[in-house]
Amino acid sequence: MRYLPHTNTDRQAMLHDIGVNNIADLFADIPSEFHIELGSMNLPEGLSETGIVRKFTKAAEKNRHAGNTRCFLGGGTYHHFVPAVVDYVISRGEFLTAYTPYQPEIAQGTLQALFEYQTMIARLTGMEVSNASMYEAATATAEAALMARRVTRKTRTVIAGSVNPRYRTVTENYLSRLEGDFVEVGMGKFGTDLSKVIAEIDNKTACVIVQYPDFYGSVYDLAPLREACDAHKCLMVVAFSDVSAFGLIESPGAYGADIVVGSGQALGIPMAYGGPHLGVFTCKKKYLRQMPGRVCGLTTDADGKRGFVLTLSTREQHIRREKATSNICTNQGLMCTAAATYMTLMGDAGLATIAEHSAAALDLLVSKLPSHVVAASGAHYNETVLTFESGDKRDAFIAEARKQDIFAGIPLEKFEKNIEPKHLLVATTEMIEEDDVNELIAAMEVAA
Amino acid sequence: MSENKYSATSGIQQEEPLLFEHAHEAPESINLPGVKGEVSSDLAAFKRKTPANIPGLSEPETVRHFVRLSQWNHGIETGFYPLGSCTMKYNPRVNEQIARLPGLAHVHPDQPEDSVQGMLGLLSELQGWLAEIAGFSDVTLQPAAGAHGELAGLMMIRKCLDARGEQNRKKVLVPDSAHGTNPASAALCGMYTVELKSGADGRIDLDELKKHLDDDVAALMMTNPNTAGTFETDIKEICQLVHDAGGLVYGDGANLNALVGVARPGDMGLDCLHINVHKTFSTPHGGGGPGAGPVAVNDTLKPFLPVPRIVENDGVFSIETEDEQSIGTILSTLGQSGVYMRANAYISAFGHNHIHQIAQDAVLNANYVLSKLKSVYHVPFEGLCKHECLLTDEWQNKHGVKTLDIAKRLIDLGFHPMTVYFPLIVHGAMLIEPTETESKETLDSFCDAMLEIAAQCEAGDTQALHDAPLKPIRRRLDETQAARKPVLVWEG
Amino acid sequence: MSVPTDLKFTKEHEWVRIEGDTATFGISDHAQEALGDIVFVELPEVGRSIDAGEAYGVVESVKAVSDTYAPVAGEVIEINEALESEADLVNSDPYGVGWIIKVKISDNNAETELMNPEEYTEFLDE
Ligand SMILES: Cc1ncc(COP(=O)(O)O)c(C=O)c1O
Repeated sequence: MRYLPHTNTDRQAMLHDIGVNNIADLFADIPSEFHIELGSMNLPEGLSETGIVRKFTKAAEKNRHAGNTRCFLGGGTYHHFVPAVVDYVISRGEFLTAYTPYQPEIAQGTLQALFEYQTMIARLTGMEVSNASMYEAATATAEAALMARRVTRKTRTVIAGSVNPRYRTVTENYLSRLEGDFVEVGMGKFGTDLSKVIAEIDNKTACVIVQYPDFYGSVYDLAPLREACDAHKCLMVVAFSDVSAFGLIESPGAYGADIVVGSGQALGIPMAYGGPHLGVFTCKKKYLRQMPGRVCGLTTDADGKRGFVLTLSTREQHIRREKATSNICTNQGLMCTAAATYMTLMGDAGLATIAEHSAAALDLLVSKLPSHVVAASGAHYNETVLTFESGDKRDAFIAEARKQDIFAGIPLEKFEKNIEPKHLLVATTEMIEEDDVNELIAAMEVAA
Repeated sequence: MSENKYSATSGIQQEEPLLFEHAHEAPESINLPGVKGEVSSDLAAFKRKTPANIPGLSEPETVRHFVRLSQWNHGIETGFYPLGSCTMKYNPRVNEQIARLPGLAHVHPDQPEDSVQGMLGLLSELQGWLAEIAGFSDVTLQPAAGAHGELAGLMMIRKCLDARGEQNRKKVLVPDSAHGTNPASAALCGMYTVELKSGADGRIDLDELKKHLDDDVAALMMTNPNTAGTFETDIKEICQLVHDAGGLVYGDGANLNALVGVARPGDMGLDCLHINVHKTFSTPHGGGGPGAGPVAVNDTLKPFLPVPRIVENDGVFSIETEDEQSIGTILSTLGQSGVYMRANAYISAFGHNHIHQIAQDAVLNANYVLSKLKSVYHVPFEGLCKHECLLTDEWQNKHGVKTLDIAKRLIDLGFHPMTVYFPLIVHGAMLIEPTETESKETLDSFCDAMLEIAAQCEAGDTQALHDAPLKPIRRRLDETQAARKPVLVWEG
Repeated sequence: MSVPTDLKFTKEHEWVRIEGDTATFGISDHAQEALGDIVFVELPEVGRSIDAGEAYGVVESVKAVSDTYAPVAGEVIEINEALESEADLVNSDPYGVGWIIKVKISDNNAETELMNPEEYTEFLDE
């Protein structure tokens, strides 16, 4: 077996040194009734490296993907540009095959990259501090709700119905075993009506969670929410699905958000059928001690040189155990390195261009819609809801687009039960060219 | 200098500033794809008033910056990494290659099912294999890491007890040797924990367990082999006792590497088990993650598995999103698919004919290291170990040397230290997990280093241990300063 | 370290100085020593009323955390704000500037077992 260095001679010599006769003796402490017959597992025969490549190539060929289609799918995952350099950096064995930086002297590379990530993601979201990642956006949202309970010592959570339904479901699920109300505020439109959200806030409320741009891609003024939160001493939590937006639009931090959470997948991380992605978690510095997850901090070494360590560990499970701020241990560290590399390559200018192109593609699409298809009104970033005359018409369009190798969008009922099946969530990124939009529109006309 | 025996040298190590400190202005705009046009006036009203202040470097500078940083790291590709409880084994390169195939890497999670049959097939296949290897009836791939798996498992246990009308059961028994995520997950699940004091042999003490079994018990969380690296030989009786008391048994599968292909936790009476695929199934740990924490369950817990789930009908895969009894959803997507591609490839390479060699060589290596070191380091729990061995610094203490010094000295000799100060049940713990992908030559070299350190202690020649490490780009870092005045972002 | 004679101690290694109806709390020299370099002290809000034996705050070092328990019941009237930026005062002067909070002792204070400095030293020796 090519991953195992020992020869049988090595094994014999080692057994001899240990003082046992054979390998089985090393397992004598496991009651014999639990020993299974070696080789009896219901698995196929081991494959050579070539065999593995063939197997996966064959499986991969059965899938359609963003490289051989045009992808207008969003809903939390987006087909953005993944620079070759990002993949190169995270393929380097020193980053890829290291564990969590428990021995900082020989993990300064990971640690400095984390520190740079924390700095840049805090700046992009307009916040003071960041942790070193959560699993992904939905669990990050749930962790924000839990943190707000600790900070405020209150237990009621209010969440807007325009937050990605998956973040809502996961958050509700995390909170459902704990005391306290979970209030979802229906919006009655494909957008966010802050007045409805604000009307639900009371003095028992620990936090209000909204999404910006919201699940439907709509962008709106968050300022009234800050006032309402101040009036009731509750935390303002802002979620997002596509962090590229903040290359262009005002950051949640600029509106005074207390905690900002969401997906950093847009920062050079492939869609990979749902993961690994990057859960972003940033907040105000005053709440630092209640923050979940690992953080990297600056310090000096014995010679007085600048260096980095994981810090504030007393919040975490390995020290605080049942009183920890979260149970998270392994996080998405490598994805922070990817995001740091990506942001370094882009800079402010590149991030702005990516966002402008993503938004411009949607504008173009909406401007060309035939009269039988209606887009949600108001300011949108790179995602919106299209409404068709009927479900059949919509499905005919999806099918026509598929013939042209276009994934036209996600039927909204996939996210929201009990909704009429005639709506389509469409997203654009800088990977969509003008021709792609034209072909999508052409498919709409053919299917009309 | 004895150091020449070991791999560590001090070659050129480049200093590298923070990227924010590179002096020059950001380069001209880069050529990016997409629709070039003005954004709508609706959206323009929301434009950022000030840029985020992300400096940006040119492509060659970016590459050099991160390559230099990478060179300050020690990874499993660089050298031995015997971090106990973490199973740092070689991460096959072909797994990286296949995970990057466009048909696997650039697939959107909401593509229509008929366009992802290859992906669903690989995931479903892995699900079946994990159930087989762990000895359970089914598996969920949704949990994103071990701790997330603990939460999923406990949620299923909660739901199962609720279904039995036993909402009052909220006590979770956790041995004092358990990993911190165990009690933290129990708390997150709305339950409270009671710590079980380990017996004199480091194992679960049956009398102590019995003392705490009553009508409040929801579950016992146990790790087998335990975090001291020894097998819980009473496992059958332990599970029986908990079941008789009306509770369920949660298995922390972080140490599954000791059993792969040789014995199956599901056969021993556990109700569920999380699997850290970033440990046992070789997916790279990435300097902190990502991992994945699939949970295997028996028939008792199967009805409560999370959704969405992959189901197969006549070779066609589809995704089930609703189920009355399910605990619901704990992640935005089906799971960390990219990680699972690599795990599938790892198991594919071994197959039924080689899979048991994982546990065999892992256990052989740990016992070999133990046999070489036990005469000079204190072994708190006598006997065979499984895939990792536990030592302490008791004998070095009398020379003023602590576990931390030994760990830091190993760095100067070219090795990543073992896990230190865990488990908490012994003073000055050193938990060594060599894994199956290390050669005898590497193990011998590491043991020589450990013997040499012990000899230096005996000889009172301990200065090098207190000063260590001297060779890496940084020496011991001041953790107190970092925690007293936290600086988590660059303010320059 | 010399222990001021007007202090009383608890088994949780807290000290208390009672002056009229006010009591000042802190942690003992032994406790700060055992914790190591203290990096953070979590302080309660002024106005909060705490029972004897209740956890009113947290003292943290890099790798350890310890709740602080009230030796007597009362209402918090002052917190040592200096600890917010200089937690290490608890290390350097646990019985002086490293005090943690002051409370107004409540009337219905149940007698708790407090030790004088000699008794506490004996307790530590056990
Ligand atoms: C024994 C044990 N249990 C649980 C965990 C948690 O797993 P993860 O880090 O994947 O969340 C770990 C890993 O660090 C562990 O060693």
